Amino acid sequence: MYGRRASQLLKDFSANEPGQISAFDTENFDQVIKECDAHHLELQALMRKIQEEGLDIQTTRNADHYGAVIHHLALIRNKRCLMAYVYNRAEIIQSLRWKVGPVLPQEVQEKVSYSEEEYFKNHSAALESYMSEAELDLTVDMVPPKDPYIKVRVLDDIGDVFLSDQSPNLARHSIHFLRRTDAEQFISQGLMEELPS
Amino acid sequence: MARYFDIDDIIMEDELISVVYQVGANGVGLLDPGAERNCVEQGAKVELPFWLAHELHMRQAVVVSAPPCFNQKTRKEIQADAAFVDLRSRCPYFYEFGCKVAPLIGDRTIGSFLLYAFTGRYKEVLSKAHSSAFITTSKYLTLLTKEETQLYEAARSSMTAFKKWRVGGPRFERASILRKRKPTD
Amino acid sequence: MASGSEEGLGFGNGDGDVDVDVDVDPSIAMTTDVELLKRAWRNEKAAPEILQFESSLVQRSKEQIQLMEETVEEYEGNGTDPLTVSLYQMDLDRTQFLLRSYLRIRLLKIEKFATHISKTDSWNRLSEQEQKFTKRCMDDMEKHLTQSVLSRLPYGYQSILKQSISSEEDDMVPEPQLDTFVFCKSKSSLGAIQLDESGEEFEDLVADDLYVLRYKSVKPLIENGQIDIV
Repeated sequence: MYGRRASQLLKDFSANEPGQISAFDTENFDQVIKECDAHHLELQALMRKIQEEGLDIQTTRNADHYGAVIHHLALIRNKRCLMAYVYNRAEIIQSLRWKVGPVLPQEVQEKVSYSEEEYFKNHSAALESYMSEAELDLTVDMVPPKDPYIKVRVLDDIGDVFLSDQSPNLARHSIHFLRRTDAEQFISQGLMEELPS
Repeated sequence: MARYFDIDDIIMEDELISVVYQVGANGVGLLDPGAERNCVEQGAKVELPFWLAHELHMRQAVVVSAPPCFNQKTRKEIQADAAFVDLRSRCPYFYEFGCKVAPLIGDRTIGSFLLYAFTGRYKEVLSKAHSSAFITTSKYLTLLTKEETQLYEAARSSMTAFKKWRVGGPRFERASILRKRKPTD
Repeated sequence: MASGSEEGLGFGNGDGDVDVDVDVDPSIAMTTDVELLKRAWRNEKAAPEILQFESSLVQRSKEQIQLMEETVEEYEGNGTDPLTVSLYQMDLDRTQFLLRSYLRIRLLKIEKFATHISKTDSWNRLSEQEQKFTKRCMDDMEKHLTQSVLSRLPYGYQSILKQSISSEEDDMVPEPQLDTFVFCKSKSSLGAIQLDESGEEFEDLVADDLYVLRYKSVKPLIENGQIDIV
């Protein structure tokens, strides 16, 4: 059936947990691109046939015309699936800027295409130039604030850092009382965890 | 098309629907498994995905028949015990698909049937989401359409958020995209 | 949310009470603006499309945040009671969260509907910085989609706006769904308002009652501030 492989791409995509992506499915993606070319060839052949029979391409409604229509529809259906595949992956990738910062983590980098990686960089840069013009860092304060300070445990050796009000040594397993906005990104990157205070 | 990139919308349009060709079409033999030549004959009865059937219907090239999930049998079952009819196996996008199909087959009763089915099932979805443990509802969940599952998830997550808010405790979490870190080495 | 008026300090806590201690200069001006910011934030959060940018309110909020930061620093320096300082800090935190979250929600809508916004009168609802961001979003996405898909498709099917050369209008642009339902509330009785285009359905809006209505039908009332969505 026409368009079957293309929609399979999307079914595989939506089988992931929301917000997760799997490796870019180059094999099936390229196959669908090939299908598009095949539809286009068939479409052109049928159009040529109509013209060769001396019929008007605009008004003819014979079996060749309807065949051409079906190939055209299958092509734009495939296009929609391919576009949606790339677009919805891009939405997940761009959302990572808020969650893990300006560098893609290794486990995500393995799964994205070259163009996706470049998109992430460009989009992050766009966001950063907005934030610098607005003179506000929008990547902190993702959760409504309660207390100015929270208790955290360090999960990985981070070392000496300069924070807004102190410069602690963040050794693994050490426990600190940090400004919420300072701790937020460490937690989201998996380098710290919040403890009940 | 306001929902051009919407994955649910695209997957739903893959639902098969049975049509009768009013015209012939050349070069598309793949569409009719019974065809002898590489074409579809006028009068051929074929199952097509909705995205194709819909466009051909608009060009008056096919006549669409009502999908089985909206037939009398399903309607009777819904009337008897709406909440526990297995709609997912009939059509995972029962409601959205119904809305899209209704104008094609000119059946005005589909709208009120969908509404009846939805209101009949809604209460059960919510009460399951709010009260029961996940383990006891897993079987019930297999009966739900995609739309109802989303509703169930929404109700569940707002309940979880409410409980979490009441109890307090950590509110910051690691980004879910990251692998679990090994505690040692 | 916890009340901010412990210790009689009367911060703008968002519950509508204006119980301001005379010594607390910055928060006198604050009370109303925090209210307004909260309202703008709530409306933006619940509306399916992007609303008018509250430019002077954002400007004032930024100035007030700076003022509060200075106050907190000063108190920290001169040995004011730590509890008092921490209450100021919490109030400052809340305002900063509101402002950041407000701007963030807008950016997320821009990311989603950049092309649609740029082609409609929504464009004029953006701040200058947001307009720049919109353009970059469109350029980046176009480049990515072109590289990954469009340039590999047959001639006539390579447009990012039209499905094919035979489409009469731009049929690939995602749009916000304006007929979605929103929860809304009005501060005063508005009488009967029309709910659908045919003019057959009306709803009597009573002050402080909660209604679930189509966004489309109450859009003008949200825009002129008669109704809030929650």
